[in-house]
Amino acid sequence: MKRRRGGIAWWLVFLLAVLYFFLPLVATLDFALKAKPPFSAFTNAVQDPKFFSSLLYSLVIGVLTIVASLSLIVPTAYWVQLKVPRARSLVEFVTLLPFVIPAVVLVFGLIRVYSQPPLPFTHTDIGSSALLVAGYIVLSLPYMYRAVDTGLRAIDIRSLTEAAQSMGAGWVTIIWRVILPNLRVALLSGAFLTLAIVLGEFTIANFLARPAFGPYLNLLSQQKAYEPAAVALISFGLTWLAMIAIAFIGRDTRTRIEIGGAH
Amino acid sequence: MTATAGQGAPLARPVRRLSWSWLGLLPFFLFAIFFIGAPITYLVIGSFQDKTGQTTLQNYADLATPSISNAFLTSIEVSLVTAVIGGIFGFLLAYAVILGGLPRVLRDALMTFSGVASNFAGVPLALAFIFTLGQLGMITVWLKGIGINPYQSGFTIYSKIGLELVYLYFQFPLMVLIIAPAIDGLRPEWREAAENMGASSRQYWQKVALPILFPTILGTIILLFGNAFGAQATAYQLTSGLIPLVPLLIGNQIAGDVLHNPGLGYAMAMGMVFIMAGSIIVYTVLQRRAERWRR
Amino acid sequence: MEFDPTKQRARARALGLIAAAGLLAAACTPAASTAPSAATPTEAAGSPAASEPAASVDPMADLIAAAQAEGMLTTIALPDDWCNYAGVIQGFKDKYNVPVTVLDPGASSGVEIEAIKANMNNPGPQAPDVVDVGFSFGEDNKDLFLPYKVATWDTIPEAAKSADGNWYGDYYGVMSFETNTAIQPDPPKDWSDLTDPKYKGQIALDGDPRASNQAIQAVYASALANGGSLDNAQPGLDFWKQIVDADNFVPVDANPGTIVQGATPVAMRWSYNGLAHRDATAGNPLIDVTIPASGRFGGVYVQAISKYAPHPNAAKLWMEYLYSDEGQLLWLKGYCNPIRYEDMVKRNVVPADLAARLPDTTGAVFPTPAQLAAATKLITEGWDKTTGATEITIPK
Repeated sequence: MKRRRGGIAWWLVFLLAVLYFFLPLVATLDFALKAKPPFSAFTNAVQDPKFFSSLLYSLVIGVLTIVASLSLIVPTAYWVQLKVPRARSLVEFVTLLPFVIPAVVLVFGLIRVYSQPPLPFTHTDIGSSALLVAGYIVLSLPYMYRAVDTGLRAIDIRSLTEAAQSMGAGWVTIIWRVILPNLRVALLSGAFLTLAIVLGEFTIANFLARPAFGPYLNLLSQQKAYEPAAVALISFGLTWLAMIAIAFIGRDTRTRIEIGGAH
Repeated sequence: MTATAGQGAPLARPVRRLSWSWLGLLPFFLFAIFFIGAPITYLVIGSFQDKTGQTTLQNYADLATPSISNAFLTSIEVSLVTAVIGGIFGFLLAYAVILGGLPRVLRDALMTFSGVASNFAGVPLALAFIFTLGQLGMITVWLKGIGINPYQSGFTIYSKIGLELVYLYFQFPLMVLIIAPAIDGLRPEWREAAENMGASSRQYWQKVALPILFPTILGTIILLFGNAFGAQATAYQLTSGLIPLVPLLIGNQIAGDVLHNPGLGYAMAMGMVFIMAGSIIVYTVLQRRAERWRR
Repeated sequence: MEFDPTKQRARARALGLIAAAGLLAAACTPAASTAPSAATPTEAAGSPAASEPAASVDPMADLIAAAQAEGMLTTIALPDDWCNYAGVIQGFKDKYNVPVTVLDPGASSGVEIEAIKANMNNPGPQAPDVVDVGFSFGEDNKDLFLPYKVATWDTIPEAAKSADGNWYGDYYGVMSFETNTAIQPDPPKDWSDLTDPKYKGQIALDGDPRASNQAIQAVYASALANGGSLDNAQPGLDFWKQIVDADNFVPVDANPGTIVQGATPVAMRWSYNGLAHRDATAGNPLIDVTIPASGRFGGVYVQAISKYAPHPNAAKLWMEYLYSDEGQLLWLKGYCNPIRYEDMVKRNVVPADLAARLPDTTGAVFPTPAQLAAATKLITEGWDKTTGATEITIPK
């Protein structure tokens, strides 16, 4: 069995990508450092105690959104693939709808409906935060669904399901102990995408008057020149760290026995 | 990928069995009704109202005016171009780190980076590119230093091409993240089996890998299309609204600084809904064709 | 099938703990606004609480008490360095001990109105109590406002307020040229300079001229210097066509970032924005703000109280503060001309140093709402056709 070494072509592709992705970031850093003194734009951002409290709030909301979103989407995507393929077009259409609703329309629509009985979410803090999580599930729906769907397609869910059923497993067990472990990469992708959205989101958190990271960062960059650049980089860096943390938690700790091959 | 005949095939079963299966989708549809339905309802109702609240069809009639239909065409074009290019290169990039033999750490780095980059959009992204390729941008200045003036040859970042270049920044990572599990799912055994049977690399791709990956690639390209279609803040910062795009026009009507006609904005948003529906139809048709071909 | 039950359980436990911790944290995290929204809920469901308390010895003391009982004021679209709102808000908080929440500092006037409408039934902190919107938004949306006349009502110029007290002008500035002198050492002095070849690819508007207040009024302002008038904005459009044809126009939204970096070295902005930015950069780079020699155009913003305000008394107290001498002088500190400026000058309450910081704006003219509406319509509809701006090429 041949061990596939990295061909020149693939290295080239990768290096081109690195260039494309990093040059704009370097340019932004170069600009942010023009502040006098050079790091003031960065230190200004981190000094405020609200920096950490708002970051924490957004991280918590992010985790809640990921958990809630997966609980909704994994069974749904699984069911569509396994039992109701005819529903696929409708379900996918619904998952694409969040793209066409402007964020302002989304948040004001939610406020309109859920600021009065029978479901007065906005009347309480917990309710407003719950509404925020709901809003974020909506925003991340297209990405989450597509990631999970891709993951499901890559495994043979019919055989897995049959085998599990023949051993007497119920639906919950099947999804929880059979399907989910095989979706690791897809779940990670979905989690990354969702967390990035939550950490960077501004409009919904802001109009729901939530102490989130997005509105806080925005406050820092009002009408200033160098601060927005520094803030963008800080946000970028922090989100990347959060991704790495998630990747670490979700890492594959099963020992693989490598007998050549690309994996 | 073994097809188990009979499992889940509804053909021989009575209709009643089908409707029970749909119940499994109830939580999803309930959520959609509660949290997507509410804003959409306002969109629909608002699209039939004029500035004073009277019911009217004028907003939909206005969709045909040249400036708006032009915006739709431009939006579709930009979204399609960045979806396809993003799809192709994103796929190549994902393949490079997963099956291309590059060190494992690069794969992890790319995946986590893609998570961040996929959401790096709006004002910071536009500014980042202006800082890089604008007239006084870092790269522009460097190129001028070695004697090349890109602006001399007519290049400008403040154009449709420039916008597409910027949009790719979040399209590539999105493709990478979504297609990764699918590439992961390409068993090396299949490749070896194909090679054992004497297939060349190209034949492997043509007969084995691409047919397997096709529905996923297609679905992801539709996702990229929708992703670019709804983007607004980036375009606004980059070209101050000069390139006509539907989300910009909607923003002007709904959230602008001047006397506005929100009903027209909502009607345009409904137009976007129809285009999304259209893209799903195209996707379904193409997918069915591909399945037939696969069998 | 590869799955490791022990790992699964551990992971599940971890996730469960995180989720539980999250719920706990969300429950314990104090809200951005510290107001207990359950306390003293004022009738927010559409009933205008316009009735003043029964005449007492000091209505102001009553108002302060009522506002403090409400416990919060929610504002929207008040950036820190726009007219020194940071100072104004802090001053209000310090003086009356009423916390202030600011929703979306960058919101446009349209969004402010949408926010009022969406929160009609909401007593929570998401509902704006007061708004600060563009001049044309006052009359059109008067049905959304609660009429209120501040103590100093009579000293507000007639042309700048609604007779019924629905809305009232708060401050004004003049359209000016903001130049980054590190990139362009020779700032323009008047509108006619803008077509000079030395500004190739340097002139920018703050926003989309088909949608943004500042951008549209910049075009409107240029009409005054080119044979137009407040009733005729067409020469403004024609003038900008000249700028575009001379390759001087750069189609990028001018904001502090792009001005400083050099993408938009010469920007058309309100005088107070330019001056605040000049102070903020403190010479790095040096910003020059010049009021054009001819064609001086004044832009007014208006204040209003939302009819559905969950904290109407706090809102009224806010207005009293803004229109008191103290509030007006805080705006003056932010380089905005407060609406009661003439009156305060007459009574000699304006400190000489503050007055000296104001740029010379003699001769500035102000459009009526009707003129503004007509010009806006003309400009938003005519921009594409007249300037052909969709095919802009950047000069080599």
